[in-house]
Amino acid sequence: MMKKMFFTAIIGSLIFASCSSDDEPITETSNIEVPSNYTFERDGQSTVDFSGQTTRILMAEEILNSFTDFENTTVISLQAMYAHQEGDLDFSDPALNTSDKSVRSKTAASQDYFSANTTEAAAIRNLFDSYITGQINEVFPNKDVLAVAGSAGQLADGTKTRYVNGKGLVYNQMFAKSLIGALMADQMLNNYLSVSVLDDANKVADNDNGITEDGETFTTMEHNWDEAYGYLYGTSVNAANPNATIGSDDSFLNNYLGSVNADPDFSTIAADIFNAFKLGRAAIVAKDYAVRDAQAAIIRQKISEVIAIRSIYYLQQGKNRLANAEYGAAFQNLSEGYGFVSSLRFTRNQDTGSSFFSRSEVDGFTSALLADGPNGFWDLEPSTLDSIAEAIAAKFDFTVAQAASAN
Amino acid sequence: MKHWKLWSFISIGLLIVACSKDNGNENLPPANNNFDRGAMLVNWADNIIVPAYTSFKTEAENLNTAATVFANEPTEANLQDLRASWAASYIAFQKVSMFEIGKAEEVRYRNRLNIYPSDTQRIENFIETGSYDLALPSKIDVQGFPAIDYLINGLGATDTEIVSFYTVNGNAQGYKNYLGTLTETILQLTTTVLDDWNANFRDVFVANTSSSATGSVDKLTNDYIFYFEKSLRAGKVGIPAGVFSEQPLPENVEARYKKDFSKQLLLTAVKASQDFFNGKYFNNNATGESFNTYLNFLNSIKNGEDLSSLINAQFNAAETQANELNNNFALQIETDNTKMLSTYDELQRNVILLKVDMLQALGINVDYVDADGD
Repeated sequence: MMKKMFFTAIIGSLIFASCSSDDEPITETSNIEVPSNYTFERDGQSTVDFSGQTTRILMAEEILNSFTDFENTTVISLQAMYAHQEGDLDFSDPALNTSDKSVRSKTAASQDYFSANTTEAAAIRNLFDSYITGQINEVFPNKDVLAVAGSAGQLADGTKTRYVNGKGLVYNQMFAKSLIGALMADQMLNNYLSVSVLDDANKVADNDNGITEDGETFTTMEHNWDEAYGYLYGTSVNAANPNATIGSDDSFLNNYLGSVNADPDFSTIAADIFNAFKLGRAAIVAKDYAVRDAQAAIIRQKISEVIAIRSIYYLQQGKNRLANAEYGAAFQNLSEGYGFVSSLRFTRNQDTGSSFFSRSEVDGFTSALLADGPNGFWDLEPSTLDSIAEAIAAKFDFTVAQAASAN
Repeated sequence: MKHWKLWSFISIGLLIVACSKDNGNENLPPANNNFDRGAMLVNWADNIIVPAYTSFKTEAENLNTAATVFANEPTEANLQDLRASWAASYIAFQKVSMFEIGKAEEVRYRNRLNIYPSDTQRIENFIETGSYDLALPSKIDVQGFPAIDYLINGLGATDTEIVSFYTVNGNAQGYKNYLGTLTETILQLTTTVLDDWNANFRDVFVANTSSSATGSVDKLTNDYIFYFEKSLRAGKVGIPAGVFSEQPLPENVEARYKKDFSKQLLLTAVKASQDFFNGKYFNNNATGESFNTYLNFLNSIKNGEDLSSLINAQFNAAETQANELNNNFALQIETDNTKMLSTYDELQRNVILLKVDMLQALGINVDYVDADGD
């Protein structure tokens, strides 16, 4: 066992030595005990809880599936799933029906970005609503015709069938990839990892004194950190050691962190994020809030990078497929890219405390994707895709080429 | 000890991959590359591809005729004739399926002819309503050879029972119509593809000798390897053996209703792939310029051996392993899936030789990515 760990350490250092330029070693103060897994206990009982996040990820999965359930889905049923009310029979999983949580109530709902910006929050939620109505009103009636420029229908993508609107947009992809930013990243980076939430009210004093929530084993600060954790690992097979299955545990942030991590250009990113979560949580137990906030900064940077890398990847994949006139594959990729680009709005630049991309920058990108002609993606020029990809990469330390290759 | 080996393996892998940047330009064409790519394209087109399609078209005509005869006179004897034509044409199809280029790519030829398992519930629904558009992308699993398999082998346990769907069934005409549409569609798509080769695609194809992603060699090589990896290795063996799922999926074998035919289809496909690798003429044992001669020209060596010999040896190993299998793959999977998995492993070894070693030697980049799964 010891030998294996030693060997792992050698491997790690070899990789760093061979390529890394700017990874800084984690400095741990001596009183922080960092476990090997994300396992924390008080008096022999686990203090880790993120069931609310697991619930929302599972709700989002069912919503996504219903987008192409042509037999059963209506505008009303899909809206009801998205804005679930406790007790309503919206989902196939009874546990979700009895939940008082909903996906819509946490869409663009972070403390830092939207508590005093309800105008934009409402606009973003309306956008998600419009993907639902668009799918049912534009795509469903045309599900059995071939799509052509200007009219909705289906397109082949290998052995898969893609359903697009008149501009080539795949609504379920836009919904899912936009949600990665508006729900998962926003709640994580701009809410639960924020000082404004973690240190709110008596949370610091309670955590300093080990005062747990009523009937619970955890302090509120510990719980908030875990809630951030849950938006990434909430449906992991083993959430205490989630990188064992990273990429295959949901259709959202976990999935795409796995994809980015599989690219050798970014092969330590999953480990970096997990280690920061673990050390930050251990720092809360040790009441070391400076170390905690340093880990939050790492997570904010890396999760922002995941969204940016995937934005570029899909825009470039889309460009390559368009060049071969493979419209089904192209529009699928471009719709995923469109969603990830929308998600850039929820990234977090540690230096400014706000998004890497302003609302108007993101709106500029998404409008540009549909503005090369009257028929949206059908008319899209490669130069438009390149210029957006370059503008995204310019804010980070990686190149378009690194983000665009999967290997 | 095992851990140690595994770890050293992983660590070396990590070191290699960790530092490789965008490798889009890594596979530069080899120096002094004077191999006659045009001669290879001519051999491929004139001695292999067009003769294979021509032969398959004859089989597709026979199949369509046999279906018409059966529809006009649904007897057990005519059902058996129809089955024979179906089997002969399904075998012949294995020799063209890898050439998904030009018009074949445009009409999604392989997806229209051989997606399995069929969605029999939807087939029954279409037979009942008589309303369907087989050209739609969402309809690939209700047509082609697998759907015909269902209609001539899967409707009942006995021939009498099957024939009854075309005689006494309340919607016998619906069954006849659907069967007829399926065989006509195969013939029509094949005619479209072959006519295009004969009209002008052959000339365009052989003239495009460019050593780039849009050149004929690069494109067809990718199509060939994609076929070998996805349709042959995964479709015929890996998916039903459960390589990509929690449990084996015996119902996903090729020709599931005929039951004792999957092995012959696999062996034919492996042989056709090897023959193409060696540039063997479709109609006789002569050979022309090919991957084999190209690799030998470049003197491509791996671990001290000719790469072309390694690939041929691996084709033979896969064939030998496949010969161990029961004719009925579903039965094989249910009784001893290890043999299916061993066959998969042999095929996978050749995927690596073809997709990694051969492409590197030839300076060809892979032009397809593994789908996201969404």
